[in-house]
Amino acid sequence: MDFLSLAMNTAKSLGADYADIRIQRSSTEMIFLRNLSLKNTSLNEIYGYGIRVFKNGAWGFAHNNVFTEDAINKTVKKALVIAKESGRVKYGNGLTLAHERGYIDSYKTPFNLDPFDVPLSEKVEMMMGTNKTMLSFAEIKRAVFMLECRKDEKLFASTLGSRLDLQTLYIEPTITATAVTETDSQSRTFSQGGQARGWEWVQSLNLADKAVQISEEAIMKVHAGSLGAEERKTLLLDPNHMALTMHESVGHPTELDRVLGWEADFAGISFATPEKIGNFQYGSKIVNFVANNKLEGGLATAGYDDEGVPNQKWYIIKDGILQEYGNTRATAPIIGLEMSRGCNRATNYFDFPINRIPNLYLEPGKELLTPQELIADTDNGIYIEGRGSFSIDQHRVNFQFGGDMFWEIKNGKKVRPLKKILYKSNNPEFWNSVDAICDDRSFQTFGVTNCGKGQPGQRGRMTHGGSLARFRNIRVGGSQ
Amino acid sequence: MITRQEMQKAADFIRNHVKADDFNFSIGGAEELFTRFAQNGITQHIAGDKINVNLNVSFENKTGEASSNNLKEDALKHLIKTAESMAKLNQPDPEFVASEPAHDLPDVDNFSRKTADLKVEKIVDDILKCVKNAEGKNAKLSGISEKRIQNSFLTTKNGFEGFDQSTSFAHSMTMKREGVETKVSRSVKDHSKFNLDELIGQLNSQFGSLKNPVQIETGKIPVILRPAAVLNWLFYLIWTYDRRTADEGHTPFTDQIGKQFFGKDFTFRSRLDDPDLEASKFDNGGIPAENIDWIENGVIKNMSADRYYARQNNLKALRPYNIIVEGGETSEAEMMRIVKRGVIVNNFWYIRPVDRKTGEWTGLTRDGVLYFEDGKIQKSLTNFRWNEILHKATKRILALGPVVQQEYYAKIPTLLIDDFNFIDVTTF
Ligand SMILES: [Zn+2]
Repeated sequence: MDFLSLAMNTAKSLGADYADIRIQRSSTEMIFLRNLSLKNTSLNEIYGYGIRVFKNGAWGFAHNNVFTEDAINKTVKKALVIAKESGRVKYGNGLTLAHERGYIDSYKTPFNLDPFDVPLSEKVEMMMGTNKTMLSFAEIKRAVFMLECRKDEKLFASTLGSRLDLQTLYIEPTITATAVTETDSQSRTFSQGGQARGWEWVQSLNLADKAVQISEEAIMKVHAGSLGAEERKTLLLDPNHMALTMHESVGHPTELDRVLGWEADFAGISFATPEKIGNFQYGSKIVNFVANNKLEGGLATAGYDDEGVPNQKWYIIKDGILQEYGNTRATAPIIGLEMSRGCNRATNYFDFPINRIPNLYLEPGKELLTPQELIADTDNGIYIEGRGSFSIDQHRVNFQFGGDMFWEIKNGKKVRPLKKILYKSNNPEFWNSVDAICDDRSFQTFGVTNCGKGQPGQRGRMTHGGSLARFRNIRVGGSQ
Repeated sequence: MITRQEMQKAADFIRNHVKADDFNFSIGGAEELFTRFAQNGITQHIAGDKINVNLNVSFENKTGEASSNNLKEDALKHLIKTAESMAKLNQPDPEFVASEPAHDLPDVDNFSRKTADLKVEKIVDDILKCVKNAEGKNAKLSGISEKRIQNSFLTTKNGFEGFDQSTSFAHSMTMKREGVETKVSRSVKDHSKFNLDELIGQLNSQFGSLKNPVQIETGKIPVILRPAAVLNWLFYLIWTYDRRTADEGHTPFTDQIGKQFFGKDFTFRSRLDDPDLEASKFDNGGIPAENIDWIENGVIKNMSADRYYARQNNLKALRPYNIIVEGGETSEAEMMRIVKRGVIVNNFWYIRPVDRKTGEWTGLTRDGVLYFEDGKIQKSLTNFRWNEILHKATKRILALGPVVQQEYYAKIPTLLIDDFNFIDVTTF
């Protein structure tokens, strides 16, 4: 008998109300290059399985890396024993699971060139070339290239009869140039985050050109001025920067487990409580946030989540109003929902799946508008590119963000670079201040691969996106 | 879980089959139990053993590294093949350092039988006790109990061999009712030194002191930072406290080694001989742990350095393996009389660098903020955001409390700091 069937049969025979097994092989190649020194060139492969057992409204989860019938049976039993222990301190009258059916299906990230088939020598050579380009600028003292390629191969089975074969892949190249003077050190990064695409995507990025651009901008930045005390100003935020702001201020507060207080001890809770669904003005009327786990290239796109719920597309915020959350089979019923949106994901085989942010993006503006036109339409503002300092409270209300590159806009033109810029805002003021969003011609996506959440901590991934957007009357100034 | 004998056997296999000029082979084994609860019920329960097998090889100065979670001979053969073929395809590393030779390792005991023998039934009993306490206050409790046993083994081509076994138990809980939420957490290496009743008492005391939080104006104000807050900040100090990044001009510590850079009351050490604290015997490169004075009376004595940078600059390769901040004798009640008014902060949250060069950081308060005036607590406050150059804040330390064991790797005092820079408030 195959291990999937064995585990499910054992779980049923021992009296589990529900059980699933996820056999997962995760391969990660990391190459970390700093000033032509290879700080890390490694391939990590971990392979094992995790078994969830649901009994009397409580969970137990056990994992193992030994693939024998005996080990499978023991692991099922261990999960059941601790599920029964969990049942001694029940959540309410016990958890219930949203309705779902079994699926027999497979999914594979579409790509042409498997990054694991590209010879290491070719990758290192490309990275060295980029590093040398950056270091050829006299004031660039640190050049970093970090490349991560990850592949997850999963076989999933549940007592609902599901049999899933899911293979996902992503690549994340990041290059950073740091310029140093007598008194300051400032860096500039090129990254589109991780993308679920093949090596052909990396080849299309023109990293050699990007290395020149970020080196020049890092030097510009280290010599740039800053702003004085905080003032209310207009902000233009590029999609790369907004990927982070939406992650923190829309993605996390609309995870149903946070809303319910399941993360209260660590990641925090959420101001976006259930009575706000359908009536809370989260953003201005042109603000629409779409959750889309079918997004091509999206890091949460996997066919199904890690409890066998199909990937879906829905609105989190529609015409500015909070519509729905991302949720899981155990959280959805608590607010009266019948079905899960399929946001339960785990990082490695030994991780218990938790409520994760889906692929989530700001819908492009419906009226034709290019970034050039939006800049031209702005009298006095700050244009922010890329990700920098970010901090948000544990209810996801008050936040402060920096960025990677800043430009002052006067009379419709970028007039000078700036550094050390911070803005402060809060929910719901921030997304309600949006008065213009560029159209879909400039829509871009950015993958987040290091979303820390859970106890024990897991590293989650998802994709965000948008087009250049304008925010009015935001508190912005220079740092100390 | 994996035994030392099994680790040794795998090491012998590696030694006999590696063709590379040099290697560094490590195995980490762990047996873990995580019992997580939220809203007065257990929501997640994880049990299992983990293993991490790592091989780093080099041909001259070309390196390759492979890791897996499998110790079978076939898997080890695959590990060697992967690491060696990566090294052959790689380019030379100008900062390559040969593996460590044999070293005498410090005589430290990081293992507790009491922790290792802890049963899931006892952990759940204790969680039930905590939940009952919260229910008695009409409050909701969320948190986690974590039990860990770890084995680590390292051997190198050049003769290093080390084995360490450690245990830890951690318990944290956040209690919430309407607008009041607060948290306590503690971790120990020896479970018999974990006092649940005392921790519940601390939780109830913090919870009881917080009522209907109100906003006050932001600005510079004296602050009493309780140990959890101080430790949270220290993680971020340690993150940037590196000799090379300082020498290369990226941090505020450039050219400050040996100088009075922090406040004179600020002393930070790592110690092998504190029986309560874990001190892992060697790091992943095979450098044995030793007593280290990082900052003494505000003077920068040592900074972290990796093996390459240490060798290059005639320094010792160092890393913080535990955290001891020297305390004083001032009680919190006495601190409240040293300044006219101020705030008490239980913990910080979401600390991030604002400017790495100046050493400015941002963060928020968490788990309850209290306002005191004329020696007495007057009211609870909503949370603040702060932007502060933290090393400069140590120059404004007015008093230090006695050290307490906050984690199995940290002993930390309460600090009274003048003029802490609160710049914004949040709504709760
Ligand atoms: Zn996140």
